[in-house]
Amino acid sequence: MLPHLINGISLGILFGLLALGFMLIVGVMEVINLAHGSLFALGAYVAVEIINPGWMGGATAAYLQLPLALRYALALLLAPIVVGALGMALERCVRRTYGKKAEYGLLLTFGAALVLEECIRIVWGPGEKSLPLPESVNGGFLAGDLIYSKYRFFAAFLGIVLMAMVWLFLEKTPYGARVKAGAHDSEMVRALGINISRLRLFVFALGAALAAVAGIILTPIWGLRPHVGVDAVIPSFLIIVLGGVGSFWGAVIAGLLVGITVGLTGGYAAEWSVMSMYLLLILVLSFRARGLMGKKSALEA
Amino acid sequence: MTMQPAKFATLTALLLLAVACNKKTGDASAGASASAQTADGKKPIVIGITADASGQYANSGDSDKRGVLMAIEEFNAKGGVLGRPIKFVHIDTETTPATGSRVAERMIKQDKVAFLVGGVSSGVANAVSQVAQKYGVIYLNTNSSSPSEAGENCHRVKFVWDGNGNNFAQASVKSAIGTFGKRWLLITNDYVWGHDTAKATKKLIAENGGEVVQEILVPQGTRDFSAILLKVQQKAPNVIAAAVGGDDLKAMRTQVSQMKLGDKYAWINNQQDWPDVYGLPRTDLFGVFGTTWYHGLDLPGVKEFNTKYLKANSDSSIKTPGNVFYNGYWATRSLLEAVERAKTTNNHAVIKELEQLKLPAAARMQHHDAYMNPVTHQLQQTLYLATANLQSTQPDELFKILSNTPPGDVLDKEADGKCKLEPFEATPVYEP
Repeated sequence: MLPHLINGISLGILFGLLALGFMLIVGVMEVINLAHGSLFALGAYVAVEIINPGWMGGATAAYLQLPLALRYALALLLAPIVVGALGMALERCVRRTYGKKAEYGLLLTFGAALVLEECIRIVWGPGEKSLPLPESVNGGFLAGDLIYSKYRFFAAFLGIVLMAMVWLFLEKTPYGARVKAGAHDSEMVRALGINISRLRLFVFALGAALAAVAGIILTPIWGLRPHVGVDAVIPSFLIIVLGGVGSFWGAVIAGLLVGITVGLTGGYAAEWSVMSMYLLLILVLSFRARGLMGKKSALEA
Repeated sequence: MTMQPAKFATLTALLLLAVACNKKTGDASAGASASAQTADGKKPIVIGITADASGQYANSGDSDKRGVLMAIEEFNAKGGVLGRPIKFVHIDTETTPATGSRVAERMIKQDKVAFLVGGVSSGVANAVSQVAQKYGVIYLNTNSSSPSEAGENCHRVKFVWDGNGNNFAQASVKSAIGTFGKRWLLITNDYVWGHDTAKATKKLIAENGGEVVQEILVPQGTRDFSAILLKVQQKAPNVIAAAVGGDDLKAMRTQVSQMKLGDKYAWINNQQDWPDVYGLPRTDLFGVFGTTWYHGLDLPGVKEFNTKYLKANSDSSIKTPGNVFYNGYWATRSLLEAVERAKTTNNHAVIKELEQLKLPAAARMQHHDAYMNPVTHQLQQTLYLATANLQSTQPDELFKILSNTPPGDVLDKEADGKCKLEPFEATPVYEP
C-alpha cells in the first residue's frame, strides 16, 4: 500500500502543476482555455529545440558542448517565456470575447488549440520526440526492494517549488493582490485606476508559461507527440472542477486526490485507473456542486 | 473567483462536446467526384482508405495510408487497372469503431468506392468489415492484428494482411520460457486486440509449462504507468509479455526506460509497429518484439523499395518504410493484381482470386513464401523477432533482427475453427 500511496502523491503533485495555469486563467478571466494542452505541448517542443538545437548552424557543436543540465535549465527558463509571449498574442484575440457569452471564449481557444497542434505537426512532424534529461535525475533508485524513478521525484520537487512560487506571488505580492481582486470584481479594480487589460494580458501569459513548464516537466514521463495536449487538457479541466473554479488550494488538493486515486487504482485494479478520476469527480460533485473549495455565488452568500 | 453553477454546467457540456469533436474531419481527397468518369470515358476505380488520422493510431494510420497510395500510384503510372484509372478517398476513422462504421457506410453509399482498404485498430477494422460485408464490398484489413479479425470476426469480404497476436506469441513464447523462465506477467491493453493476444499468449504459456503470475489490464489512454511498474516489481516475474499499443506503448516504454527496468526483466512485446518507435531513443526499445518486415533486411529489392519510399514520401518525417507502410502497400498491390487476374471488379471473382493468393518470398522481400489462408482470409507470412540495435549509430537502424520464422511454424490453428466465412450466396454481388 505505502509504495502506491507515495507514488500517488508524487503523481498528484504533477497533476496539480498541470492544472495551475488553467486555474489562473479560468479563475481571473472566466475563460476555459482549451488551448492549455497545446501550449503544454508547445512548451515541450520549444524545450527540445533549446536542449538540442538544429537551427544554430555552425554554433550548434559548440553549444552542445555545454553540460546537458545547463541546457535543460535554460530550456526550463526560456521555453515558458516563448510560450508566455504566445499566450499574450492569444489573449489579444480572446480579449474580443470579454463581456460576451462565455462560449465565445471557449470556442476561440478550442480553435487556437487546433491551429497550434497543426502548426506543431507541420514544424516538428507527427512522430515521437524525446526530451533528454541530465543523467543525475534519470534512472531509478532503490528504496526497500522496489525501484522508483528518480525523475518522478525530481519532477514532483519542481512541481512543489513552482506551486509555492505561484502561491507566494498570489498571496504575498501587490501584483498577486491585484490579480485576485481582478478575479473577484474587475469593475471595482478598474475604478481604482488599475489597468485591467494589462492585468489580464499578464495573467494569460503567466498561465501559458505555467502550461509550458508543466509540458517540459511531464514530457519525460508521457512522451512527446503533437496531440499530447489532449492528454493534458482533460485532467486539467477535471482538477479545476473538482477543486473549485479559481481556487489555488482547490487545484492543489484536487490534484493530490486525483493522483492518489489514480495511483492506488493503478496498483490494485489498473483497468479502472483512467475511469477512477471521473468517478471521483462524480462523487465529489454529488455532494459539493462547486467542487472542494469553490465559493458560493453572490446570490447564495 | 466565482462562476454561476448553471453557466458552468453549460460550459462543461460544451467542453465535453469540444473534446469529443477534437478530431480531424479527414481529407476526402477525391470526394464525391471520385467516382465520376474521366475525360476518356473510363470510370475510375475508387479505393476508400479507412485509415486513422487522429487518436491512438494516428501515426500508424498515416503510414498505412502512404503505403496504399504508393501502390495506387504505381498502377496509375502503368495505365491503371483494366484500363481504368484508380482514385482514392480518405476519411479519418479516428481510432473509433463507431466512426469506422460511419465512414465505411458513407464511402460505399456516397463515394461509390470499389474497395475499402486500411485498418490499424482492431475495433475499427471489425466495425468497417461488418458494413463492408453488408454491401459485399471487399475490405483489406491491412494492419490490425487481433486474432479475432481472422477468427470469430472474419468475413467473406475481409482479408487480413498483418501477422496476429497468436502468430507473434507462437514465435516468441516457447523459446522465451526456455531462455528466461516460467513466471510470466502480462500487461494487456484493455480492448479487443490486447485481450485476444493475451488469451493466445496465456494458452501457449500453459502448454509450455509456464505460469501467469498476474495479468494487468491497461485502459486505452493510460499515460502514467508508475503504479503498474511498481506492481510488476512486487510480483517479480521472469518474463513480462506486453500487448500494449499506440501512444500507450510509447508512454510505457519511456517510463520503463527511465526506471531502467528494461534490463531487469525479459520483455516480450508482441508486435512493434515502426511508426510507434520511430524517433524514440534506442534505449527505449528494450526487450524482444515481433514485426512482419524491416527496412534493413538483407534481401534483394529492399534497397530499391526504400529508395522508392523516400522518393514518394519526401514530406514524411519517417524516412524509412516500416511494417505498417509495407502491409498497406502489399495489401493494395495484391488486390489490384487480383483484379487484373480476374479481369473484372466483380467482388466474388476478386475474392476467389485473393483466396488463392500465393506470393513468392523474393517478390515480397521476406525470407519465406507467403500465402492467403482460404479458410480465415489471413495472409500467412514470415514473422521476425527483433531487438534494439545498440551497436549502430545510424538513426534509422533501430532494429536488430534476431530470427525469422516461416508461416507454417506459427499457424493460428484456433482461428481456423473459429472463423465461419459467410457463403458466397449470402454475400451480395458488388461490381463497381
